[in-house]
Amino acid sequence: MEKVKSLIKIKPNTYKDGEVVKVSFMVMHPMETGMRKDKKTGDIVPAEYINNVKFDYNGAVITTMNVWESLSANPVFTIYMKINGAGKLTVTFTDSKGAVNETSSKIKPKG
Amino acid sequence: MKRRDFFKKLGTVVAISAVAPMMSFGADEKKAKGPNELSYEKALEAITNGKGAKPSAKVHLKVPEIAENGAVVPVSVEVDSPMTEQDYVKTIHIFATKNNNSRCLAVHFTPANGKAMLATRVKLGSTQDIAAIVEMSDGTFLSASQSVKVTIGGCG
Amino acid sequence: MKKGTTIALSLTLLASLSFSGEQFAMSDADRAMYAEMLENNPADIMVAHGEELLSDLGGETKLAKYLGVSETELPKYIAGFPRYIEKFGMVVGLGQMLQGMMHDSKKKVLPLANSDMNDLLAYTKSIANDELINIDVNANQHMKDAYALGKITFDTKRGGRGLSCLSCHSPDVIGTILRTQPLPDLRVNNTGATWPAYRMTKSNLTTLQGRMQGCMQNALLAVIPLGSPDMVALEVYVTDKAKGQAIAIPGLKR
Ligand code: HEC
Repeated sequence: MEKVKSLIKIKPNTYKDGEVVKVSFMVMHPMETGMRKDKKTGDIVPAEYINNVKFDYNGAVITTMNVWESLSANPVFTIYMKINGAGKLTVTFTDSKGAVNETSSKIKPKG
Repeated sequence: MKRRDFFKKLGTVVAISAVAPMMSFGADEKKAKGPNELSYEKALEAITNGKGAKPSAKVHLKVPEIAENGAVVPVSVEVDSPMTEQDYVKTIHIFATKNNNSRCLAVHFTPANGKAMLATRVKLGSTQDIAAIVEMSDGTFLSASQSVKVTIGGCG
Repeated sequence: MKKGTTIALSLTLLASLSFSGEQFAMSDADRAMYAEMLENNPADIMVAHGEELLSDLGGETKLAKYLGVSETELPKYIAGFPRYIEKFGMVVGLGQMLQGMMHDSKKKVLPLANSDMNDLLAYTKSIANDELINIDVNANQHMKDAYALGKITFDTKRGGRGLSCLSCHSPDVIGTILRTQPLPDLRVNNTGATWPAYRMTKSNLTTLQGRMQGCMQNALLAVIPLGSPDMVALEVYVTDKAKGQAIAIPGLKR
């Protein structure tokens, strides 16, 4: 299975330990509702959507999400997180067809 | 919250949703359309155990009054909370109250978030209310809702 | 959503479309919310993918060398596309320039209508983010000719409905509502500096040439092929309208 393209963005670009930063997770996914008809064939396009997202920061689960098909295609999830030491933020996500993917971003507080 | 408890909580959430997303309901037989059809009323009842949620000024729901495009409608929710172990926001649920499956997203927070906020984008088939239901760590439920006028539906 | 590929619309009807701006007007708060979405444009992922694709080709260093400029000059140089390039002997957009680079470095040449190519093109243009569009349509005879051809192509009525680009993008009709969409002013919209853009109605990244093909399809004009002299000329003409405005890639469009 082809790797699903995704991206983690942290704002601001530089941050200190203890700071609360904005984390956006973006992923390329069709988020098919299972109710849409293919314009050419007229067939119902089967449902296929991200259903779970988990944010792991240095081994601790800080946020989880249940996701349904009503989110826009190529969804974006923005939350906040408190910087608590250098390390890694990993986002693991699954979709309704069983695909499991993960992406991560280094956490490097300055000062 | 202790890590172990958290995993327990997470385990239940994920396990249940794997079987029948979120709650096990007899699907609305009459007009079962999408794979997860569930009305807002039923979802609200299930989440709050029939208690309902109280509209609160602590819940800041932001949606556009008029959506340019029903396929991509920005939604953000921020809840006033100290986000400490004693007092934090457990979950923010977002509903598109008239979509076939009204549930859009449920975000389960921990004090490690530092701030209870989420932003995302939803598809709206028609003009309707967006609702945010918030579960606090003390078990109470707060809510906010706002209508969005959709000029072109997003479910085509 | 209704597809509506055919627009049953005559020029007279178009002229009579009321300025129903009020009806669809968004509040400033709404506008601010949509503007905020730019911060997390789904196409950022595509642009990041384009960066990987360029680094497979040798990255910015190789690109600058290929174009015969220093790496510090590269952003300004990119902000001047489409350009006449000596070794091609013609005016080219970024996509064709990248094809040339692939060819000359003996890599597989991607077609212009290709999602990897779109990603790569978008990343390449984003190297010039914040630079001002500095296309010079008087730089040489080739550019002058391309501009003139672009203007003719833009202004000439064609197709089953006798429409030209100008029919919908002239100052007389700008702001008029067509199928709920206000007809955009390509100058005010900063069009030349905001494509490739993510199209929310299509959930994909589209180039300026691709977007213009969309208009041709909708208005029943014969579709001009990507990279053809007429298409590049149109890009020259439309990009010139954004001259002096800041490049912001990827754009985010309805
Ligand atoms: C029937 C009317 C009509 C015709 C004819 C037409 N356009 Fe358009 N064009 C539109 C509308 C309406 C939009 C905006 C649609 C939207 O918001 O999605 C648009 C958008 C565009 C855009 C994107 C602007 C931006 O910055 O977002 C470009 C570029 C463009 N047109 C170029 C052209 C060219 C070149 C032609 C001639 C080949 C042309 N159009 C012919 C109606 C037209």
